Amino acid sequence: MTLSFFDQFSLTAFMGIPLIALALTLPWILYPTPQNRCLNNRLLTLQAWFIRQLTHQLFLPINPGGHKWALLLASVLIFLITLNLLGILPYTFTPTTQLSMNMGLAVPLWLATVLIGARHQPTHSLAHLLPVGTPTPLIPILIMIETISQFIRPIALGVRLTANLTAGHLLIQLISTAAFYLAFTMPTVSILTMGLLLLLSILELAVAIIQAYVFVLLVSLYLQESV
Amino acid sequence: MAGHDAGNQYQFTGFAKYFNSYTLQGRKNCVLATYAGIATLFLFFKLKPKKQKQIAEK
Repeated sequence: MTLSFFDQFSLTAFMGIPLIALALTLPWILYPTPQNRCLNNRLLTLQAWFIRQLTHQLFLPINPGGHKWALLLASVLIFLITLNLLGILPYTFTPTTQLSMNMGLAVPLWLATVLIGARHQPTHSLAHLLPVGTPTPLIPILIMIETISQFIRPIALGVRLTANLTAGHLLIQLISTAAFYLAFTMPTVSILTMGLLLLLSILELAVAIIQAYVFVLLVSLYLQESV
Repeated sequence: MAGHDAGNQYQFTGFAKYFNSYTLQGRKNCVLATYAGIATLFLFFKLKPKKQKQIAEK
């Protein structure tokens, strides 16, 4: 069966079991479970330190009322980083290339920040839609623009993650295919293409981590406006 | 974050006291007024009787 370049993103099932369920749940076993000990082993200590540092940096600008989101956002961050990094490996499936999954993460998180803002700080939430010092003739237009940008936020969140991961995987597949077929006809060009593939892979590693961080950072920024 | 200034240093009078782009209340009232205006326009065109179309059909 000839595979197209987009078959790597298709959702498959094996004996009735959708494999995306395995792709989403199995990365959990890669992380050691924290123990109730005074001193853990090196791996657990490192894991705890890393998660504490990330959470501290993420919640530094947020008021104490928003700190109850720490567990959720840290979990989402680790989840996305793991899925993205595992997807860089050959012949693996990246769940974050599915727009449905990313929208399933983005829309509820964004909506929660909007509802929290409307519930606890309705005046601040409404006032955010009009920047300070706007000239009077521009007020209605700017309010409409800010309202539209508010509704575009979840779409941008989901599509940003999907597009970056999908484009990266497609580029890797295209360039690796080119390097393979050029090896028989133009070996020198093939070696240069392999060099390009190596650089692209390093870039995709960085993009995988950065896009997960950007997703969570933007949610924390939206939360910052609401608490 | 920018925009959390309550704008207490401004002393507006009259209409500008309630509708301005500097104080928190002023900005909130501008937003609500804009939404009310859009809703009014929408309802006006939605409920507008279509007399001219019926005359043309006759």
